[in-house]
Amino acid sequence: MNDSGLGKVPTFKVDVHTTNGRGFTPEEIAERCANKIIAISDDANPAIRAQAHAFRGELLKTLVFYMREAVKSDRTTVYNALTDAGQTELAKYIRRL
Amino acid sequence: MAFSGNFMCTSFKKELLYGAHDFDASSGDTFKIALYTSSATLNAATTAYATTNEVSGTNYTAGGGTLTPVDPTSSGTTALLDFVDETWSSATITARGALIYNTTPNTTSISLTNPAVIVLDFGGDKTSTAGDFTVVFPTADASNAIIRIA
Repeated sequence: MNDSGLGKVPTFKVDVHTTNGRGFTPEEIAERCANKIIAISDDANPAIRAQAHAFRGELLKTLVFYMREAVKSDRTTVYNALTDAGQTELAKYIRRL
Repeated sequence: MAFSGNFMCTSFKKELLYGAHDFDASSGDTFKIALYTSSATLNAATTAYATTNEVSGTNYTAGGGTLTPVDPTSSGTTALLDFVDETWSSATITARGALIYNTTPNTTSISLTNPAVIVLDFGGDKTSTAGDFTVVFPTADASNAIIRIA
């Protein structure tokens, strides 16, 4: 097991990300996503580490782009749902966000 | 005395030997994560979920959120497990730590109710105000995954 005799787990770290008065941005979520996809060791060979960081940078750009697309597309869905419900002013507000 | 680090609960290790916990992503047990204030005392000796000093706040329900496990895997000689990050949306919460527990353990060989799995120490109070509160699990590899058997 990954712990000492006292049951303490010494090597993993759980992060907590929070926001105030808003949700997460695509950039913030993309960072988390990239961290799940690729982990780069500080001990890696410098050349490989540089290549991995470059790959991660390109991956991040792609993730951010498609997350923004997903947000826009979802807003379209919400806009249409609100319009269909007769909430046209609210629908316009959502579209302007 | 509040939180003092991350712990794999001792009772959980014993229960593994009884076959009480199934982490299969599609047909396994239901695991939840409950948030606690800094007044809670959770450590390796914690055996089960309890409501004492559990967080209360907007869009947080007692008992916490249901986790989505990722199928257990292995890397080298280490077996490991991961969960999908858990988010409470539009929430106003302050929490110091959390408990992962099993709401549907296999009780064929041992009597259990909401047995504890792991205690998480956030290192300090974390607060969301009318926002999102997300617990981000570590990289699922042999060195960092949240549950590892080496």
